[in-house]
Amino acid sequence: MSTFLVRRLLQALVLLLIVSMIGFAILHLAPGGPLSQFAAGGDMTQADLDRIAEQLGLNRPLPVQYAEWLWRMLRGDWGLSYRDHQPVLHIIASHIGATMELMLSSTLLAMLLGAWVGILGAIRRYSLFDALATIGAMIALSIPTFWFGLVIIYVFSVGLGWLPAGNRYTIGDGSALNRIHHLIGPCIVLALVSTAVWSRYMRSSMLEVVNQDYIRTARAKGVPERQVLLRHAFRNALLPMITITGLHVPTLLSGALVTETVFTWPGMGRLFLDSISYRDYPTVMGILMFTAVLVLLGSLIADLLYGLADPRIARNG
Amino acid sequence: MSADLTGVTEVRIAASPFLWNSPGFRRFRRHRLAVFGAVAIVAMTLACIVGPMLLPYSDTFIDIRQRFAPPFSDPHVLGTDPLGRDILARLLMAGRISLAVGFSAMLISMAIGICIGMIAGFYEGAVGAVLMRFVDAMLCFPSIFLLLAISALISPSVPSIVMLIAMTSWMEVARVVEAQIKSLRTRDYVVAAVAMGASNRRIMFRQLLPNAIASIVVAATLNVAHAILAESYISFLGYGIQPPTPSWGNMLENAQSYLTSAPWLAILPGAAITLAVSSFNFVGDGLRDALDPRMDLP
Amino acid sequence: MTKHSDGTTGSVFAMPALHRRHLLALGAGGFLAASGFGASAQTKPAPPPPAKPTGQVVVGLSQEPTAFNPLMPGIEVDETVWMQVFNTMWLADPQGNLTPDLATEVPSEANGGISEGGLAWKVKLREGITWHDGAPFTAEDVKYTLELINAPGFKSRTRVGHALVKDIVVKGPHEISWRMEKAYAPYLALLSNTFIVPKHLLEKASDPNTAPFNGAPVGTGPFKWGQRTPGDNITLVANERYHGKGPYLEKAVLKYVPDQTALYAQFRTGQVDLIIGTGIPANFYAEAVKLPGRKIVKIPNASLEILMPNLEHPALSEKAVRQALYASINKQAIIDVIFYGLHKPTESFAPQESWAYNPNLPQQSYDLAKANELLDDAGWKRSGSGVRIKNGVPLEFAVSTTTGASLREQCQQLMMQDWQQVGVSMKINNMPAAVIWGEFYTRSKFQSLLVGTAFRTVIDPDPASRFASDAIPAKNGSGANQMQWQNAEVDKLLKEGQETFDQAKRKAIYWKLQEIVREELPILPIYQYVPVEGYKEGLIGYEPNINARQNTWNMGSWYWAR
Repeated sequence: MSTFLVRRLLQALVLLLIVSMIGFAILHLAPGGPLSQFAAGGDMTQADLDRIAEQLGLNRPLPVQYAEWLWRMLRGDWGLSYRDHQPVLHIIASHIGATMELMLSSTLLAMLLGAWVGILGAIRRYSLFDALATIGAMIALSIPTFWFGLVIIYVFSVGLGWLPAGNRYTIGDGSALNRIHHLIGPCIVLALVSTAVWSRYMRSSMLEVVNQDYIRTARAKGVPERQVLLRHAFRNALLPMITITGLHVPTLLSGALVTETVFTWPGMGRLFLDSISYRDYPTVMGILMFTAVLVLLGSLIADLLYGLADPRIARNG
Repeated sequence: MSADLTGVTEVRIAASPFLWNSPGFRRFRRHRLAVFGAVAIVAMTLACIVGPMLLPYSDTFIDIRQRFAPPFSDPHVLGTDPLGRDILARLLMAGRISLAVGFSAMLISMAIGICIGMIAGFYEGAVGAVLMRFVDAMLCFPSIFLLLAISALISPSVPSIVMLIAMTSWMEVARVVEAQIKSLRTRDYVVAAVAMGASNRRIMFRQLLPNAIASIVVAATLNVAHAILAESYISFLGYGIQPPTPSWGNMLENAQSYLTSAPWLAILPGAAITLAVSSFNFVGDGLRDALDPRMDLP
Repeated sequence: MTKHSDGTTGSVFAMPALHRRHLLALGAGGFLAASGFGASAQTKPAPPPPAKPTGQVVVGLSQEPTAFNPLMPGIEVDETVWMQVFNTMWLADPQGNLTPDLATEVPSEANGGISEGGLAWKVKLREGITWHDGAPFTAEDVKYTLELINAPGFKSRTRVGHALVKDIVVKGPHEISWRMEKAYAPYLALLSNTFIVPKHLLEKASDPNTAPFNGAPVGTGPFKWGQRTPGDNITLVANERYHGKGPYLEKAVLKYVPDQTALYAQFRTGQVDLIIGTGIPANFYAEAVKLPGRKIVKIPNASLEILMPNLEHPALSEKAVRQALYASINKQAIIDVIFYGLHKPTESFAPQESWAYNPNLPQQSYDLAKANELLDDAGWKRSGSGVRIKNGVPLEFAVSTTTGASLREQCQQLMMQDWQQVGVSMKINNMPAAVIWGEFYTRSKFQSLLVGTAFRTVIDPDPASRFASDAIPAKNGSGANQMQWQNAEVDKLLKEGQETFDQAKRKAIYWKLQEIVREELPILPIYQYVPVEGYKEGLIGYEPNINARQNTWNMGSWYWAR
């Protein structure tokens, strides 16, 4: 177990190094740069722009800039934002709460809803409900998330006035109720894809379990069907499901970025967008590294749980 | 010689699902959603190719006096946009672009993914490890983050958007192919071919690739769906295909400020995207069931 | 450069991908001169302000203020914060007059503050002003500010004008003097936008670039730094020791809503009390004026929407081509249809409210026949494809602007259709803001740009950095003459304008300059922006100011009628 962990962690470090190289190369090779923002204003002269480029160290060769970034990163210094003039870690920390709130709540919603739809679909296989759930899940996976968000806003905020059209809370009213009210729309939108994924996996993993010998045995023994399903089948179908959640982290992060954009939610997705259009290199790199760590952590947990769930899996990869 | 023969037999077995009466195809036909998806794709493609020629309006003809006509208004069946252009004409032309982007991005990403996957799967040692770590690293970026970062590199045009999507969607394919090749490698006929002294390239392309075709076809179908969706996301985030060329994504993007006053501008392209993407997903799902009997649960 | 609010100028463009959406949407039209504006906004006599600061105002912004040290690089929206927390020595009122703030009077040749033909400057400062932390404000702070701007390692925003300052002498706790390397009239205007920072706090930091001050600024302004929720809002609180009028509000919240449509929606539902800066998108104007309990105003703005040709382009370098292109732009259709009639057509690079504006320039009219004639006469022959050719050079070029600016994209498509009719092939080549405003723009790699920008130095009419031939970055110049315009007569006029302090004389110089620009068309002016802002009824004191970069310039004197 522990050698497995050490191996995985070493692998993760190598991956992070490659991730940082790819990210750094993409960003810095792109035309334009952090000075565009100021050039557009027209009141800064070329002399000012050249001086600031010099002061930010943007004129040095790329490998030198990368080496310096990496060296500082290794010592725990994530750099200073160009846009904010604040430490990057501090900036990420101040946006992560909003994103986590959104991601966790929608994951919870997706788990509950997805498990319910999946189990019911598995029990009543080939029923109308099952067919509709299947079609619904496929469509949910096919709708552009932002379009769904716009429709939700159009119907429930603009049309019916039930939900706020954006923001995390009303200024001057930070009560829990107010926050939950604001969370409903984005939470539903972000949960759409996860619910579809969960329900599909839940359904097939339930079907797989239901046909195992011990379930048949339980049935044969006359254990009530409800108990068979919930006690035995559900419990055994659940663990593999949790691994799905771990592997689902990148999708969830992408979805969060789009959802935050539509609902003007002040999280990491918005920060990433703002930073990338500003070419705030230190912040963009910081976010990329941070998300890469989250993704790797997600898959590591998934692997560990998968191993726990099914001891037959050899841990050699 | 005999190496060739073994290869051919294997191909015939693997390719047989495409024959009308094969068990695979029958499974596919039973999958009603997949059939619906296939029909929808064909219908949409035909409409987008033929449709614009039959319409009285060009997709770029500007008629300011007719702007914001709602759907079902007289000459414009689906209404007009803020410059008075016919939405039906634009929707169909946009369909050409979006579907073309979807297919071409799929072809390129499949080409990249298959090559990398095959090489990684075939040369297991250092080459394979390095390639697959690169694939893993690319997968560490949430897809939108990667799309956004790379979109910064390019100026938006149809070919560059195709490249952008292809560059960010080949990794899953590479993984699938790698896994397939790895498992096929140990099969007897491959081992036999190696023993007969067949060249590596011959083994890869004549024997391994054809036998991985089932999973590749499934991945390709899902890839088209992904690419169409990706095009709309890039447009939504402001880096999409530029006017006057219409695409479903940029039609939707431009409709946002008219959401309250002219909601049809947003609803129509959104519905077109959803229909196209779900059709490809249905077909992909059906193909998976049909071509991969292991998934066919009792 | 007034607020380029609209995003027109820099900011908008520059704006993050998402603002992109309606950036452009701003607009507003035929408007009233800057003067008399405040009066028209409030008809009833206003109730008196409260005795002590009460209530709060939520100001909606579609860009996020992130830079709080007013001397460091930032964009216009950052000034919404600077204006509240800091003060300048003097500032411009809506009529364009400079009024003293930290100084007791604005230096001039008449009062002896400026002497030796503009080489010697002397300023008396107001006494009894304190920083938010209680320390007294003195001439040392002004000296420190001016020196910090020129300090080698400091990332100052711009050194235009400041670089000429030398021999700064503190003559007493509230008196300062310096000398200029050469006479430079626009410096007066530049100082109206130079916020004074506290010496006692910044000099303590080992590196002023990373001082804690930059994240929690301390100034002399009407509001003190409260707290910031990044990505969401900034809260400022009343400075009860403020030396000027007010503040009457207890709290001011600057709320960031990263999308103009969403911001407008929140204004409509009342979550934000007013929208400034990028304003209300043009397509919502008609609806907005009918909102109950809201006042919607078209505000004056000094930014222009122009087509900026690259004068080194083989076709665009020819004057006749530019004149023909200009004659075939349907300005009225652009303004009326795309911008709902809000913006006003213009012929000059100077804002119509400026004292330097020349109203006698020839009027452009949409005339395709004349355009065809101009091109025929200049020897551009139609080829088989309908595109004109001269000496093997086809009359074709690309127009670039930022991606995602949907109204501007509509504009491009209208122009494309018109130009096609006179045998000109135009292509659209739009790019993300961070790309377009990089070297593509600064090093003149574009063919032509559709851009909103201003041609002046803060509020001074001097456009030298945009028009002088030594200001071409692509030719090692140091300004922002990206068209690469070179004209000896213009260079001479620009120099004279900078060295002259007498307004009447300067006016004659700039009138002549406007005539030359109208004739030569180094820029094709389309319209002057008229953005729309809005506020809740009952808010007293809001007053648009074309000479301030943001209309929060007088927030200290705002209050609610209650």
